[in-house]
Amino acid sequence: MKGKRIKYLGAALCCIMTAFVIQGCGKAANDQKIEIEIVQYKPEAAAYFEMVEDEFNATHDKISLKISSPNDAMTILRTRFIREDYPDMIGIGGDINYSYFVDAQILADVSDYKGLAGINQGYLDIAESLELVPTEGTYIVPYAANAAGVLYNRDMFEEHGWQIPETWDEMKALCEEIKAEGILPFYFGFKDTWTCLAPWNAMAVELSPSDTAKQVNSGTTNFTKEYRELSEKYLELLPYGPADPFAYGYNDACTAFARGESAMYPIGSYATPQILSVNPEMKIDSFVMPASDDKEERTLNSGIDLGFCVTADCKNKEAAYEVLDFLLADENIQKYIDAQNAVPCKTGEFQLSSMLDGMLEFIKAGNMTDYQDHYYPSEMAVDAQLQTFLIQQDVDAFLKKFDTDWQRYNRDIIRLVQAYEKEHKNV
Amino acid sequence: MITKKTNHAAMILLILGLSTIVFPLYLTLVIAFKQPTEMTNSISGILSLPKVWSLDNFREAMRVTDFWNSLRNSLVITLAAVGLSIGIHSIMGYALGRNKADSKFYSFVYLFIVSGMFVPFAILMMPLAKQTAELGLANWFGVIILYVVFYMPMNILLYSGYLVNIPMALEEAAKVDGASTWTTYWKIIFPIMRPMHATVAVLTALAVWNDVMTPLVILAGSGQNTLPLAQLNFQTQFGTNYNLAFASYLLSLIPILIFYVICQKQILNGVVNGAVK
Amino acid sequence: MKNERKRTFLLITVPILALFVCFNTIPLIRGVIYSFTNFKGFGSYDWVGFRNYIDLFSDARVGKSYLFTFKLAIVSTIVTNVTALLLALALNSKIRAKSFFRGAYFLPNILGALVVGYIFNYFFTYILPALASMIGVESLKSSILSDPGSAWFGIMIVCAWQAIAMNTIIYISGLQTVPEDVYEAGGLDGATGWKQFKHLTFPLIIPFFSINMVLCVKNFLMVFDQIMALTKGGPAQSTESISYLIYNNGMSGGQFGFQSANAVVFFIVIVCVSVAQMKFSGKKEEQL
Repeated sequence: MKGKRIKYLGAALCCIMTAFVIQGCGKAANDQKIEIEIVQYKPEAAAYFEMVEDEFNATHDKISLKISSPNDAMTILRTRFIREDYPDMIGIGGDINYSYFVDAQILADVSDYKGLAGINQGYLDIAESLELVPTEGTYIVPYAANAAGVLYNRDMFEEHGWQIPETWDEMKALCEEIKAEGILPFYFGFKDTWTCLAPWNAMAVELSPSDTAKQVNSGTTNFTKEYRELSEKYLELLPYGPADPFAYGYNDACTAFARGESAMYPIGSYATPQILSVNPEMKIDSFVMPASDDKEERTLNSGIDLGFCVTADCKNKEAAYEVLDFLLADENIQKYIDAQNAVPCKTGEFQLSSMLDGMLEFIKAGNMTDYQDHYYPSEMAVDAQLQTFLIQQDVDAFLKKFDTDWQRYNRDIIRLVQAYEKEHKNV
Repeated sequence: MITKKTNHAAMILLILGLSTIVFPLYLTLVIAFKQPTEMTNSISGILSLPKVWSLDNFREAMRVTDFWNSLRNSLVITLAAVGLSIGIHSIMGYALGRNKADSKFYSFVYLFIVSGMFVPFAILMMPLAKQTAELGLANWFGVIILYVVFYMPMNILLYSGYLVNIPMALEEAAKVDGASTWTTYWKIIFPIMRPMHATVAVLTALAVWNDVMTPLVILAGSGQNTLPLAQLNFQTQFGTNYNLAFASYLLSLIPILIFYVICQKQILNGVVNGAVK
Repeated sequence: MKNERKRTFLLITVPILALFVCFNTIPLIRGVIYSFTNFKGFGSYDWVGFRNYIDLFSDARVGKSYLFTFKLAIVSTIVTNVTALLLALALNSKIRAKSFFRGAYFLPNILGALVVGYIFNYFFTYILPALASMIGVESLKSSILSDPGSAWFGIMIVCAWQAIAMNTIIYISGLQTVPEDVYEAGGLDGATGWKQFKHLTFPLIIPFFSINMVLCVKNFLMVFDQIMALTKGGPAQSTESISYLIYNNGMSGGQFGFQSANAVVFFIVIVCVSVAQMKFSGKKEEQL
């Protein structure tokens, strides 16, 4: 008897499966409202986007907005792309994924969006240069930026009367001074490989051309040449950190810095919430990492942390632009940068977090350069290579490997770039 | 029973080994009750008891994960996957286990399915995401079917391994009474395999309960969360609230622990002993 | 009668096999097809023939990951099985508070990866070095996870710690199939302790031993969660497992095609290892 039951169960399973298939096909739009769906990749900003969603829906009758802020959004986006189930808009950072998405023609050209006029030209240029090969049109509306430099313990600096360094020599002198007082100058959390990129990026903007990666792709230079000074200087920072920096992760480093175990922590502004969660009373400020001895070369390491793209599949671009208008309203941007300690990509008068005081003049002057790592393919694991380099401290071997690996991991991109250049020379 | 006395050597070994479990569990508990401001990198700091014992972390963790809804989804998926696995895998294990020795076909099917265990999930992920969407299975039902397929190799390996110790004589006796193979299986073999059902239930439930990737990929963006998916909310690259996360993990540990304790009894009440005699 | 039996078995096997093919074999074949392309995971792609496979054999990183994974898997399998068997025997013997112990030893398996990662990181980074300097063990004074030479050992400990629970359950359920009269008969012959285990118990639970070996090899060769929780492949890329590379570079990175090729080769390798293992323990079973 039981056997029959199983047979029926099997039959029932088949029926249900069929039912799902049929149901899947017959999905009809029965709502008059235009639906706009955004998937954005910063789960830490979920609360802000929930608020935006509610306020937008309360004030707009024709459009219904849905914003999701999932963790691991990149996996979700990729899965949805492969099923050809595109959200109307995506919120992503200006890194190599954006470059790939432009190249894959997943994104729509938004150059006719009027709001672009209000965006800081510096960030539009950064977006432009992220395209693998120059592509007609604009594909992202930069929303917020982050900045990486050195976070420092303001109370500690005031107490000892330390001055903010402006050149590499001053930086090293400061470290010596701090060390002489028996305080650890830097904390590092190199166990989490990605943190190895923070000082690297911050110094790279002053020591290497911002388009190093592109130059290498077009075959005019190599990393051994462009990154040597940077690599050597990076090694010089190590003695000012903890004895075994590879034992500590990002979280350990944040906790240690929050507990006053070091005077400075070379990391981006994004780390402040984690630090403050351990020590809410701490006064943190930041300065631009000086890597060059020439004050003229000073520039802030800043890139697009969040930008909004409309997908090519979006049925209703007008509605998407209306959502963008709402997102870009001054009061909303102010709320966002308050919550995230971010730098707005829109021009205008905004009140920035006090942690960015030391970087303010650079931001105001528009003196910003994008992160080098936004051009690195993630599978090349430059962060892990940097960690290896910092452990082995062999500049030549590191640079050599960097160059050979670059050629290997970027083969398809390099071919694309060189084909493009050939074609355009002929024209 | 050979020995009626307590096995002292075993007791000592077990108690010593217990320290490797009590210590991490203690840390988990203490951290789950602390506030982020109590986190330090010093050993005495991490081992110390929380300043205040309050259930706030647990309350907050339940709010963040939408606990009751996520729990319900997780329970439905896990129980359905376990139920179907026991039914489908045991009979398949029986069919393959009894025939693989003298049939090339069954031996091939057995190896074919068992080798499915070694397919790296990463290679299946994208094709499955596409396929489930094409079949209209990008929902919890699809997730359950996938689990039944994913754990089929392991469970068939377990069931057919267990069958080796179940004598054919039992079936032959039933056959003499004129029962069909189908009836014999459900009346005699299925109940005998109870300890293995319990083992399979525990292993499958555990794997399903903790799995993140399948629901993440299949339910992507549908808003239907399972507990592990909801728990992803605690960690981002730039900040992890370990206190809330630990509280939440402790909460989600309870149902599966209860399930294990229930199944454990079944594993022990093996009926093979009695049946063989 | 015979035909009825055959027909029933066939009726059982075919539909279930079809289900399996539909959701395991077909997606696998689709994955294999991607391994001949330079697919990034989205957008368009080109056919590249065997380029991915050729690259695979010249990629030092992939080679290193194979070495690491196999080293980890072999050592973890041994450690896990020995410990689990001991535990199962102890838990199955006449002890007090049996249910409590069985419950407690199951716990490591259900603690989430985030919790396990945090606790063991803390243990290896702060507690173990402090203990080592207290008792004066020079070699353990710095975190074993920060040294490329010893990080695998830390991962091995955590892998074994978590896996022992599952293996123990399987051994316990195996021990249930050993009829008590075997012990009684053995007891009369004077077989106790190690002798009893070697000649009476172990031969009877060999099927479970082979199941555990296969599951161990499978779980440890495909190790991923523990790597993510403890080292994320570091330090100095010394703990990148094969699954880590496949997932990280294929799914999160833009190497979907290449890593599909890696997955295909990896799949073939594990199947070979396991078949060899099953053949080996199958022979053992026959011998006894």
